[in-house]
This record gives sequence, C-alpha cells and structure tokens, in this order.
Amino acid sequence: MFHLLNRPRADADALADAIVALKERVRLCSRCFAITEDDPCTTCSDVRRNAAMICVVAEAKDVFAIERTSAYDGRYHVLGGLISPMDGIGPSQLRVRELVDRVSAESPTEIIVATNPNAEGEATALYLSRLLAPSGVNVTRLAYGLPIGGDLDYADENTLARAIEGRRTL
Amino acid sequence: MRLEHVRLADFRNYESLDFPPASGLNVFVGPNAQGKSNLLEALAMLATGKSFRAHRESELIRSGTERAEIGGEARIAAGEIRLRCTIVRTPAGTRKSFEVNGGSVGFARFLGRARVVTFVPADLQLVSGGPALRRSFLNGALAQLSPVYYRDLALYQKVVGQKSALLRGAIAPDRDLLLAYNDELVRPATALIAARRAFVDELAAATAAIYGRWRGTRERLGVTYAPNPDGDVGEALAAAVESELRRRSTLVGPHRDDLRLLVDGTSLAAFGSQGQQRTAVLALKVAEYDVMRARTGDAPILLLDDVLSELDAERAGGFLGAVEGFEQAFLTTTELPRDLGAAATWSIHAATVTRC
Repeated sequence: MFHLLNRPRADADALADAIVALKERVRLCSRCFAITEDDPCTTCSDVRRNAAMICVVAEAKDVFAIERTSAYDGRYHVLGGLISPMDGIGPSQLRVRELVDRVSAESPTEIIVATNPNAEGEATALYLSRLLAPSGVNVTRLAYGLPIGGDLDYADENTLARAIEGRRTL
Repeated sequence: MRLEHVRLADFRNYESLDFPPASGLNVFVGPNAQGKSNLLEALAMLATGKSFRAHRESELIRSGTERAEIGGEARIAAGEIRLRCTIVRTPAGTRKSFEVNGGSVGFARFLGRARVVTFVPADLQLVSGGPALRRSFLNGALAQLSPVYYRDLALYQKVVGQKSALLRGAIAPDRDLLLAYNDELVRPATALIAARRAFVDELAAATAAIYGRWRGTRERLGVTYAPNPDGDVGEALAAAVESELRRRSTLVGPHRDDLRLLVDGTSLAAFGSQGQQRTAVLALKVAEYDVMRARTGDAPILLLDDVLSELDAERAGGFLGAVEGFEQAFLTTTELPRDLGAAATWSIHAATVTRC
C-alpha cells in the first residue's frame, strides 16, 4: 500500500484497469474449465496437442503446474475441487458429469488423474476410475515416489514405503 | 531414556519454567490445581505431540498469551536429542509446530522420538469401559513405535470419516463413491490390523505373566485381539455394502476392533470383580511398557497422573515394583506416599516447582 501511495496516479489507474479487465476477460473454458481469455482455451483449441489424453486436475492452478513441466502435451479437465462428503462436496458439486460426457464425445484413450496424493485426492481418483470403467478408457494415476535430488535418509517413511511398492524393473 | 531438562513458556498456568528432572522416580506433590498434571501433560507432549487431557488445544496456551512452548532435552539410546513443541493461537484455531534438534519437522517425524507410557485415572476404565478406550490404548503405543502406523491411522480415520458422511447422507447417495472409499480403505485397514495383531501378541504374553504374578497362577488372563474384519478386508467390505447402505453407517473396519480380556475363558468386563479388572489394567500398562522397551531397546518414560489416589497403596507399590528397570518415572500426588523408596520429590505450588 505504501508503495502505491508513492507512485504516480497513472500507475494506480493502470492497476485498477488491470483488475477490472481480469474480472471481465478471464473466464473458464467451456470444455475443460481451465482459466482462459478465449473460449475454448488455447490448450483445447491447439490442434498440435494430443487429443487422445485428458489430464484431470482438481483446481485450475494445477494446469499451470503441469504445463510448467513441458512433459505433457494432452488436454485437461478441471474438476473444481475434490470429493469430500464431510464438507458437503459430492460428485455433483464438481465437473464430473462433464468429464464423463467428454469421454464419450471425444473418445480419448487415456485419462490421467493428477489429484493430490492425500485422502480426498485418492478417493476422487478411485471414484473416477470406477465411473469411467464402462467406457473402456485407460485411467491412470500419477506415480508416488521420491523427490528428485532427494536423499533416501530424509524421505518420510510413508513416501519411502509407497516408493518401494511402486518400484519398477530397470 | 530420560528427560534431562524441560523448559516451559506460557504453557497452561506456567509462565516460565526451567525444570531439571532427576533420573529414577520423580514425585510431584502439592494441592490440586497448582500445575502438577499440567507439567505431566507437557512431558507427555514432548513424546506424543498431543495432550492426553485437553479438549481444545487453545487451553494449552496460558490465558492472555498467544504462544505456548515446551522444550526438552532427552537422553535416548542413540544419544542426546532436543525436542520442541510450539502451540500458537491463530484466528482459525491453534497451530502446532515441532522441532527436533533445532530443525523444523512435521508431526509424524516428531512423534515417538521420545516415548512415554502414560497412566491416568481414565485408564482405569480400560477393561470395563467401551472398545474405543482399548483402541486408543493400542493406537497410543503403536503411533509412538511406528511413524508408518501413525500415518496409516490418520489416513484411515480421514477416509472412514468421509465414508460415514456419505452414508449419513451429507451428499447424494452414490454407490460408486462408496465402493471407491472401500478401495481406498483396504490398504491402511490391512496394515493397521497387521500391526495391532503383532503388538497384541507381544502384549498378551507380557500381560498374562504380570497378572499371574499378582493374582497367583490359579487365574489365567487371556488378552486377544478381535480384529474387524477377521479375514480379508476387501472381501469383508464388499460383503457389507448392502447392510452399510441400509444402516447408513460403517460396519466393517479396524475402527470397530476390540481387545478382549478373559480370565479363565470368561469376560473380565462382564464378570470380573473390580479388583480383577484393576489388576488387569495395571498389568496391561506394565506390559505396554515392556513391549515398548523390548521393541526399541530403550525404556520409555513413565507418566503416572494421580493414579495413587485411585489405587490402594499396595497395588500402586506393586505397579512400580513391576516396572522393571525403568530409567525415569513421573508421578503426581496430593499426599506424599510413605513407601515409594528412593525418589526425587518436587513440590508444586502456583506453577512453581521446588525440590523438597
């Protein structure tokens, strides 16, 4: 605030305009529900991206996290939260129906569920996998494992235990 | 193991305390509501990170202040360890943070660095009371022994909570979601049952030996684990789906386990005398100590809160006598007992601790 008081009036106007523009121009993509200025969003409309893969995330900000990796070139689906009956959030409060409709309309070959590795993230993933089973699409889950550059000695026991369960042949 | 130094700041009625416990038996003596149990509670929190008596953690912060701190230096088998637990008042409730040797750690890495066996008057209901008491007895010991157990338990309880909310009707009924919760529960439930089974096996042998020593070999105490389900967890959950939907509550899983105590084949809770029940409780507590010591190679610290007033002198003496080779114990009492043997006695008045 003190910083703003010391700036010229024009800076304050520019900031105010930017906030108004944010509210006016930024919306959710009608297909994947990511944050966008154009509808459908650039990931949904980009023909170079792999349309056979949909990565399901809880929140719009998770799209940015995965995009930063440059390791994924498919499309997204933002659920808008995780299933939590204790908080009154069931599948109908999330964009689950929309995901099922997309799977039948777009016929992807793989759904990657990239929810957080906690109780609600895991339940949501297991639920989606049951729900999508009849469609025959391959539902996958992000792997559990050790952080890159991490030290075995510093990994918590559960992460290490899950990494042992999820080991793979070299 | 033993605590060599304990410091409190704004914890309950202690504004500031610098307390150097003795090894062996420490007795806190003084009238009620002066801070005896508060100090014992602080010692327990250095091991468990949780209060054994507070309903709300905000009670732990001295009134009018924002932040309580418990710091301790302990000598364990592996050497010296410094522990610190901080409880801070925030607009959204309280927040706890933990340190081991000056480095910040999460709860699961703090828990069980020091280990305690606590014995409070409520434990006297361990045999006669409901199964929840016996499950928390098992959880209390196992969580200190294994961080993996603690995390599986926390996850399991969270998922069971979600599943119950679904069955209760907090959201629209959804069979696929119920099955998804069952899928998620199988791994932690199976792990909890296996850990409890192994622990109870060791506990049963120790408890029976101690009980026999006290009540004579005519009476045989049997301690058995009654897991729910007794068999494959996934199959049992699948078989219970219809009845869980009908009853709108969870019916299968280790949150409904029990520990059965039988004397000569009959239920101690239903048919035992009060004397038999109390002796069994004491035997279970000594056995908990024995198993923790055997598993870790390090004697846990004993914390006995106001147990003397509930027990006759003979039983209390028998209890302490049965705890073989304890390195350090703390006991609160309003009146100094006569025959406790060599003990460091501390008088506690208005949150001031002085060596007698």
